[in-house]
Amino acid sequence: MSSQPNVLEKVIAFVDERVGLKTLQAKMLNEPVPGGSRWAYIFGSVLLFIFIMQAVTGILLMFYYVPSADHAYASTQYIIHEVDYGWFLLSYHFWGSSAMVVMVFAHMSQVFLWGAYKSPREMIWLVGLALFGIVMGFGFTGYLLPWDQRAYWATTVGVEIMDKTPIVGDFMARFLKGGATPGQMTLSRFFVIHVMILPAMLMGLAGLHIFLFRKAGPAGPFRGTPEELKAKTDYFFPRQIWKDMVAMGAVFATICSLAFIEPVVLLEEATPDPGEYHPEPEWYFLFLFQLLRLKIFSGEFGQFLGAIAIPGAFMALLAALPFIDRGPERNIFKRPVALIGWIVVMAAILIFTVSAIINREFLD
Amino acid sequence: MQPKLKSKVRCTDREVGEITRVIVDPLSHEVSHIVVGGNGVGGAERQVPVSEVQSVADGLVQLRTASSALAQFPPLEREDYVTIHEVEIAHLEDHLHVESGEVLVPLPTLERNVPRRTFFMNLTHAIGTLVALPLAFPVLKYLMKPMYSPFDNAWLKVGNVNRIKTDDVGMQFKYKKKVKEAFMPEAEVDKNVWVLKASPAVLEEVYKGKDMEFRDQVGRLVWTNKKDVPYVVFSGKCPHLGCGYKWRKVPKLGKEIFLCPCHLSIYEPSGKVLDGPAPRPLDTLPIRVDAGGNVEIIDMEFKAGTKAQTRIV
Repeated sequence: MSSQPNVLEKVIAFVDERVGLKTLQAKMLNEPVPGGSRWAYIFGSVLLFIFIMQAVTGILLMFYYVPSADHAYASTQYIIHEVDYGWFLLSYHFWGSSAMVVMVFAHMSQVFLWGAYKSPREMIWLVGLALFGIVMGFGFTGYLLPWDQRAYWATTVGVEIMDKTPIVGDFMARFLKGGATPGQMTLSRFFVIHVMILPAMLMGLAGLHIFLFRKAGPAGPFRGTPEELKAKTDYFFPRQIWKDMVAMGAVFATICSLAFIEPVVLLEEATPDPGEYHPEPEWYFLFLFQLLRLKIFSGEFGQFLGAIAIPGAFMALLAALPFIDRGPERNIFKRPVALIGWIVVMAAILIFTVSAIINREFLD
Repeated sequence: MQPKLKSKVRCTDREVGEITRVIVDPLSHEVSHIVVGGNGVGGAERQVPVSEVQSVADGLVQLRTASSALAQFPPLEREDYVTIHEVEIAHLEDHLHVESGEVLVPLPTLERNVPRRTFFMNLTHAIGTLVALPLAFPVLKYLMKPMYSPFDNAWLKVGNVNRIKTDDVGMQFKYKKKVKEAFMPEAEVDKNVWVLKASPAVLEEVYKGKDMEFRDQVGRLVWTNKKDVPYVVFSGKCPHLGCGYKWRKVPKLGKEIFLCPCHLSIYEPSGKVLDGPAPRPLDTLPIRVDAGGNVEIIDMEFKAGTKAQTRIV
């Protein structure tokens, strides 16, 4: 055994002295998790993993994709039918977006049920809500890019809904469409929003989200005395990271399987004549779509109520939540209003989504 | 007062050494143990709980224990601990005062003028504003370039009425429209309208006894649909949220109607809302039919979702 460090050790020591990697790594991994690691805490890490995979597959798709009204459809078809494994990367990106939405709901639910949005973690919750909006924005803008009928009509209706916002609606809708009707300008705008603006915003806000989370520390379980929590406490590495890794592996396998079983198939190229196609948004917007079919949301005012006021009020309520719900009690079984509220919202989303699916049969 | 690093440690009988480290509880953020090293503890560093500390004076910590009893405290196992730089515990250092006094770094001579620092801070903001402000308007105009374009009032041929065999039945006329958007080459898009040969009753419902006027952006009259021309054309865009609607036989109603598959708005052959969320009837377009039965229209589009009809194309 030589006491002289070898070349590799010298290089590592050189870099570490200048960057402080070992301290940084130690600080990243040595985060006490009060009450110990849990499967319930995997969602944040999984979301980060899904986002990184979306960025990787998204960049790969851009090697062939052309964001122009006369080439978007053809280049997407080329990716699917001609490029080796193009179908897989595109389908992975497609299913990855659904996985992202599912995980966002799971993550938000976990934080909500554990009361982890309460003081001193209000800012983490607010930044998280902004991230939720960004994920929805990703879904909405990405949906147009293949430029098939599904893409065109989801955007047409989606932007019309935005148009119903009082005062600024018309401007916002025209600004997004780059004109009065969807066309090349819309595609260009959605493309730059999808591949530049939203990723930049997401990276910045996700960084802030994690920074604030680290600053406040994990909330831990909602039950248990300080002594019990201390006895069970472990660090982020290795037990929590192990659970996170298992979850990432499972999510990866699920997305891959979906990409294999249900690869993306495009409809006809986008055109203002829907033909026999019945426009419908992506599944995670279906409940909103179904909501707007209700009689009480008919007419100009009803539409404003269903499309803008109610979703807006719901988001405002979520944003105000940590400031309204100031009681220190975090145990969900001792917060009946919160528990019932969560169940009602989830049930409503489920019921509206299912009824939108049932309605399909009636239309054919 | 918290025991400070390097303080001398004295037992009931004699001085035994000094505080070499302190151990902090990660939950309460309080000092839980002091680590005593020196000649009096026989080489090993001992972890002494703070409950054994009787008093803390400037530079001296008095223990309740006799020096002979120090050996009962466990020796420090360094590998069982991490330093506070290697772990992330929120606000851990905020109320720890274990170092003897403040650790200071001299301010450079040039930085000892506080008003100047404020001035430079304000200057930074001012220059930032000066850069951003003149850019705001050009950038906004740059992004707004394609948002508002003049209306196109050209007549388009969409088909021939000899296709229509029955009154009050919606017939879809598909046509191609040439589109020239900004820098793009001219392209053709598929569009459709619905043409109806209306019975007098339906015609009355559409026109309510009045001719229908169509205007351009500045309010100039473009065309008038005469109330006695039996052919009516509806824009293919649902006035609810802009989907394309269909002509469907509904067994429950026992008749044929216009149905939008998106949000299930239902319209009578005259375009009147029968059911569903639509805020206004179907949009009637300018139509002219020549002697040979050829139908021409002006392809107008109206804002969806509003009670009033606002033309946008």
